[in-house]
Amino acid sequence: MIDLFEFPELSRSVIRTIKKSIDNSFREFSRSYGDSIEVFFYPLKVLMNWVEFALVSAPWPLAMFILAGAVFYLTRNKKLCAWTVVYMIFIGAFGLWEDTMYTLSLVLVSALLSVVIGIPIGIWMSRKDRVQNFINPILDVMQTIPIFVYLIPVVMLLGLGKIPGVIAMTIYAVPPIIRLTNLGLRQVGIGMIEAALSMGMKKWQILWTIELPLSMKSILTGTNQTIMMAISMVVIASMIGVQGLGVSVLQAVQNQYIGSGIISGTAIVGLAIILDRVVQNAK
Amino acid sequence: MKKTLTTFAALAATLGFVNTASASECGDITMAGLGWGSASILGEIDKLVLEEGMGCSVTMIPGGTVPSFTSMVEQSQPDVMGELWPNAAGIDLYNAALADGRMTESAEQSPIGGVAEGWYILPNILEEHPELTTLEAVLARPDLFPHPDDPSKGGFVTCPPGSGCQISNANLFVANDMEAKGWKMIEPGSYAAEDATITRAYDRGEAWFGYYSAPTAFIGKYDLRQLDWGVDFAGQENWNCITKPDCPNPQPSSWTSSFVRTVFTDEFAASGSADVQGYFAARVVPGPVMNALLLYMDDNQAAPDEVAEYFVENYDIWKDWVSADVAAKLQ
Repeated sequence: MIDLFEFPELSRSVIRTIKKSIDNSFREFSRSYGDSIEVFFYPLKVLMNWVEFALVSAPWPLAMFILAGAVFYLTRNKKLCAWTVVYMIFIGAFGLWEDTMYTLSLVLVSALLSVVIGIPIGIWMSRKDRVQNFINPILDVMQTIPIFVYLIPVVMLLGLGKIPGVIAMTIYAVPPIIRLTNLGLRQVGIGMIEAALSMGMKKWQILWTIELPLSMKSILTGTNQTIMMAISMVVIASMIGVQGLGVSVLQAVQNQYIGSGIISGTAIVGLAIILDRVVQNAK
Repeated sequence: MKKTLTTFAALAATLGFVNTASASECGDITMAGLGWGSASILGEIDKLVLEEGMGCSVTMIPGGTVPSFTSMVEQSQPDVMGELWPNAAGIDLYNAALADGRMTESAEQSPIGGVAEGWYILPNILEEHPELTTLEAVLARPDLFPHPDDPSKGGFVTCPPGSGCQISNANLFVANDMEAKGWKMIEPGSYAAEDATITRAYDRGEAWFGYYSAPTAFIGKYDLRQLDWGVDFAGQENWNCITKPDCPNPQPSSWTSSFVRTVFTDEFAASGSADVQGYFAARVVPGPVMNALLLYMDDNQAAPDEVAEYFVENYDIWKDWVSADVAAKLQ
């Protein structure tokens, strides 16, 4: 007689064997490929160190000038530029300058990485339905899997610090840009493309001069979302040894320093708002 | 809105009623569901004994040390935390909670034996360098423990941000003049990440040097060796300074004797069942037993409740914690 109230579970020893074999195969993988994976990510480490060095070690007036200048150059918006300066005075006055620069460099690198990886994948997905059907569920997994499930294995592979931090942030931040690039390209009217084809344009010309410009709005929204997702990972990344504002938030929360938590939290939010406005108003 | 309020009031009244009723019999108990090995085992043992032996209904409320501690102090929920490391919750906050009568210790003793904090190394390095058993010997060789970001320096793995041991480590780092000796700290960000650095180093045969505490599965599993501090405990005054972030002149010292407590909220201490409180006061798992349980858990990837069952089936010490008829029910 089957028990209808207790689901017939696998026996404990079977479950244990399954769990252990996953662990062991990960172990073996880590032991045999750990070093080569580290080598593979070495260029990322160099890029990361370089951006971080530039932002952290620059004299503060120069960093302020360059960042405010970049905001103005990208948006031609004086008000936003002024707010950027106010924000930087705020973080500087509260002693968060260095932490903010660490965080900014991390967010910039992972956003850059996301765009570089995400847009080509998005284009590829928009070309073939089969690719789309294959990649969509992967994106779902990346966006919903509890972060610690992959964070700790990444630390076992790559150790603590920036690189696992950037990887974790990118895994979380890349789906929106892929999805929205795909969506934007699929929404370009068929008439446009047929007209271009009848004029004898090549496929890559159509992509470059018609499809991408027409879906720019969607791609920018994706970029924007990607940056926001990356910033929202800042605190979690600090749980695997990434320096920056996340550490001060963790520290504050652990000790019930509510004021300090709010100040560091505000610094993260300010950074997010500025980057959001910059991408939205980019000219 | 008004209706919601009435419902809440009714609910609160019911809960209040349940609480007063629990003074005579066991009733409902909420416990902090702590995540790390020893605390999760202890929690499941408590749950097993209270539910099967004493007829209570136990609810575990998952949460870390700090959230659970804060909730107990501010909201009197959950009723019991089985394994609180006051140094991890913030010793000042802890003493204040005791002084204000918001929290009570179940007994003036640690619920688990073999508690030790200190600086440890992985033993894999001892084969070639058997002299590395003292702090002094290790500190002389930063080249053997390269820092991942800056291999010219030695790396010392400290505690996650916000923990008490992070501050103490930082001050002992200064006290032992480690920067001048070529050392730099590695900040792991969380205990899970710190554990991952140990596994990684072990798997690859690399050296590891950092803070760790016992009893934990890793102490036994990887045979972590505690370093001899080489100095005595340099007085409580110095240690008080070492626990503060802005200690001006920390002196080298061995680690203070760590302590762990089982704590009740004020409400539970006042109105909880006396039998249950008596159980918590008597319940002490000796160090070797806890280590064996942690190893069993790790070897079998067992869930904490399986470990609790294993404990009740294979050990006898729990019979001293409860009355004879409770013990009979549990068997």
